[in-house]
Amino acid sequence: MNGKINADLKSLEAIYNKNKPYLIQIVIILASIILFFQFVVPQFRTLLEVREEGIEASLKLATLKTNLDVLTKVNEEVLDSQLEVLSSALPLSKDFIGMLNSVYSTAQKTGVNLGSFSLKVGDLSGSEKINDFPTVKLSVPINSNIATINSFVETVNRAVPLSEVYLVKIGGVSSTVGLSFYYKPLGSSVYSEDALVSPVSQKAITLVKQLSEFENTSISMQPIPSATSSATQ
Amino acid sequence: MSTDINLLLVTDEESLKRKKRVRILNFAAAASLIGVGLASLGVFLLIRAIDPSPILAEQKDVLGKMSQLENRQAKLFILNNRVENIDKVLKIRKDLSKVTSGLLAKIPSDLSIDDFEVNDKSVIMTGQSRSLSAIGEFINNLTDMVYKKEIIKSLTINSLALDESRNSYRISVKSEL
Repeated sequence: MNGKINADLKSLEAIYNKNKPYLIQIVIILASIILFFQFVVPQFRTLLEVREEGIEASLKLATLKTNLDVLTKVNEEVLDSQLEVLSSALPLSKDFIGMLNSVYSTAQKTGVNLGSFSLKVGDLSGSEKINDFPTVKLSVPINSNIATINSFVETVNRAVPLSEVYLVKIGGVSSTVGLSFYYKPLGSSVYSEDALVSPVSQKAITLVKQLSEFENTSISMQPIPSATSSATQ
Repeated sequence: MSTDINLLLVTDEESLKRKKRVRILNFAAAASLIGVGLASLGVFLLIRAIDPSPILAEQKDVLGKMSQLENRQAKLFILNNRVENIDKVLKIRKDLSKVTSGLLAKIPSDLSIDDFEVNDKSVIMTGQSRSLSAIGEFINNLTDMVYKKEIIKSLTINSLALDESRNSYRISVKSEL
């Protein structure tokens, strides 16, 4: 048993002696490989991360600079007036004053006699669907002839807040026009500081011009004639 | 003697080979060590070169300037939102005034409309006339509109009756829009 061990030790010694001149170099090479995987590879990963971060930062900076440029060039007074026109056309919330003004102003212009009307407000406590356009329905009884009622429908279609005539019912005794007034809350849109700020587009300018030609009752805030109105759910 | 000479010769060859191997290994060891060092240094310098800190500092500066204009930014955001939504509303809303105008234009003068109901899907009209020809003209006009696909898509005569008390004919029609 001991003899065998001695024989192994001898052979190991022989191998050691034979390869002794290469040992240091081999150790250095192995150490270099270990160093490469321990330091250079992680460093390279860091380099990629920093590069990615740099690209993202550059893109964000470019967007921010564009946004700053857009915001600096915007004329705030013009922006305010455009926003006023657009918000009166499509309010952020239920604009009851705007709706009543629109109806009464149209009635005055077209010469129809309004009866007492009701607003169908809907569920005030419920959450509003963001994708749809919520409306407030208004049922307006009118005591006029068919031509005048048609004139009322045409005129109210070109008034703000924007509405849709969903029903025209003309009877012998009384007539009714059903109106749906649109509004649209902003909703929980995701705001991001690096999102591109769009300047006022040509489409927006055209739309503002088009809406400015509408009967703008909300902005002028005409006094509401005395009439009974009731809110129903 | 000859054996000794042979042995020495072998030893020299091996020694030369060993020296050569040692030289190669020396070179490999040095090269690997220098290579790792240089790679590490190179990557370090690259990291330093593309360091995004100056960009981040500039970003902070621009954000600072933008914070003074955040009111305008909010207004622009709302304005673009309104434009987008108003455009949709103008596209989806139906104009019933065109329907009523179009249909009223087709009613003969000697036919009076008692009831007229139009919504976004259908229209119901009830009228009366002392003349059957006026009733006929009314039906023909509406039929033409259906053929031409002008405003209405279909025409159903709900009733056509003689009202003896008034001595007039009463007609009720329904059309799909």
